Amino acid sequence: MSDSPVTTHDPNADEKPAEASPQEQKKMEQAYAQMKRKMSMEEIGKKIKHKIMVLSGKGGVGKSTVSTGLALSLAQQGLSVGILDIDITGPNVPKMMGLDGQRLHVESGRIHPAQGHLGVKVISMAFLLDNEDTPVVWRGPIKLGAIQQFIGDVEWGNLDYLIIDFPPGTSDEPLTVAQSLPDIDGMVIVTTPQEVALLDSRKSITFSESLKLPILGVVENMSGYTVTGKAAPGSEIEIAAPAGKTLKATANDDGEFSVTLDIFKKGGGRLTAEEFGVPFLGALPFDPGFVRGGDDGVHRIVSDPEGPSAIAFAAIVSALQEQIIEDAGTGLEII
Amino acid sequence: MLVPVLKSFDGDEMTDEMPKMTRFERRELDVLVTYADGSEFAITYDDLRHSCPCAKCSPLRNVDETSINLRKQVEALPKEKPKVRIVGNYALGFEWIQGCSSGIFRFERIWELANRRDPDSGKPYVHGAW
Repeated sequence: MSDSPVTTHDPNADEKPAEASPQEQKKMEQAYAQMKRKMSMEEIGKKIKHKIMVLSGKGGVGKSTVSTGLALSLAQQGLSVGILDIDITGPNVPKMMGLDGQRLHVESGRIHPAQGHLGVKVISMAFLLDNEDTPVVWRGPIKLGAIQQFIGDVEWGNLDYLIIDFPPGTSDEPLTVAQSLPDIDGMVIVTTPQEVALLDSRKSITFSESLKLPILGVVENMSGYTVTGKAAPGSEIEIAAPAGKTLKATANDDGEFSVTLDIFKKGGGRLTAEEFGVPFLGALPFDPGFVRGGDDGVHRIVSDPEGPSAIAFAAIVSALQEQIIEDAGTGLEII
Repeated sequence: MLVPVLKSFDGDEMTDEMPKMTRFERRELDVLVTYADGSEFAITYDDLRHSCPCAKCSPLRNVDETSINLRKQVEALPKEKPKVRIVGNYALGFEWIQGCSSGIFRFERIWELANRRDPDSGKPYVHGAW
């Protein structure tokens, strides 16, 4: 061997290239898979016209109900829609979409989403669990990997809208999605009418700012429960409402009356939107049919497509679509 | 405490209907906003920053004393042209090198400022909830 630091490659030489160790090979495979996934994410980003994140600062406000409702309401317009249930530890979108117990179909290394009501495509961690009682206890990096796989390895096809349902709060999940999926339109914030801590509000604002994503609007869920009934025409009805109040209604000529009880107070969503200078998309009534529908796997929009909840969702979707720039942009010249 | 703004409108009567904003020109000390009906308004950077709608700045405008302090803080900042970004199709966001950049300014808010009206509509800020 010459002492020269320069080596030349002789193609006729009978030398075998140095083989990579199993660890090196594994690293190379991982890097290759990561690169393929990144390219796939960019490709997916192009195939999906609009991507909307659904979040809330606190739990139990009905994010999954709103996510599935938005998806179904958009699908009712004849649009192709998908839902990505990012709530790794508590996925419940499949149950609401009538897909309980379904398994995902994998072909050539690509995951094919399940199809729920109105042809809405669904991907959820719930499809991968052997038992719905089994908790998913994953630390951050594993969760992050699963989310990236859910984005990069899923064969969504062409979609008009992808609705992404998140767990409550401002944790890893929205950050990972915002960094992985290109051209996200923005966030929908779900709230209930009552006031909660200042801290949550500040966190959410700072969070949307740090992600550089616009807030498309606020949706107020569980806004008011409407009691309807029949009584003698023209008679006055008194109903005991929360906080010791009494609500009065008068039965019409057909003897029908209706009174709306503001169980969790009223107008918090609109107030919040005004305070933070973001659009208010609308309020959803407190509808026990959502609970029954969620448990039975028949969403309220499917079981009662012309009912008050479906109408409220249609109005919210319309307001949401107004916020999404189609192509032309605002036409504003900034100098 | 709004600084008077330039207005090239015939007459003093302002319409409540907001025209579409067509141009947003950043100048040395203020921004010149042009609307589709041809009207033009100047808003100083100090006015813009003092009216930041974020949850940190808004409560400070509830009380005169803290509002004046906020104004003093804003006026003490270096005069700089902000980076402007369009938020959705309903608002603008401003990024300043110093000071608060959190507020999302709805077009309606900028319209109120341009017309020298209180963008908070005289309502005190109350923290809401997501």
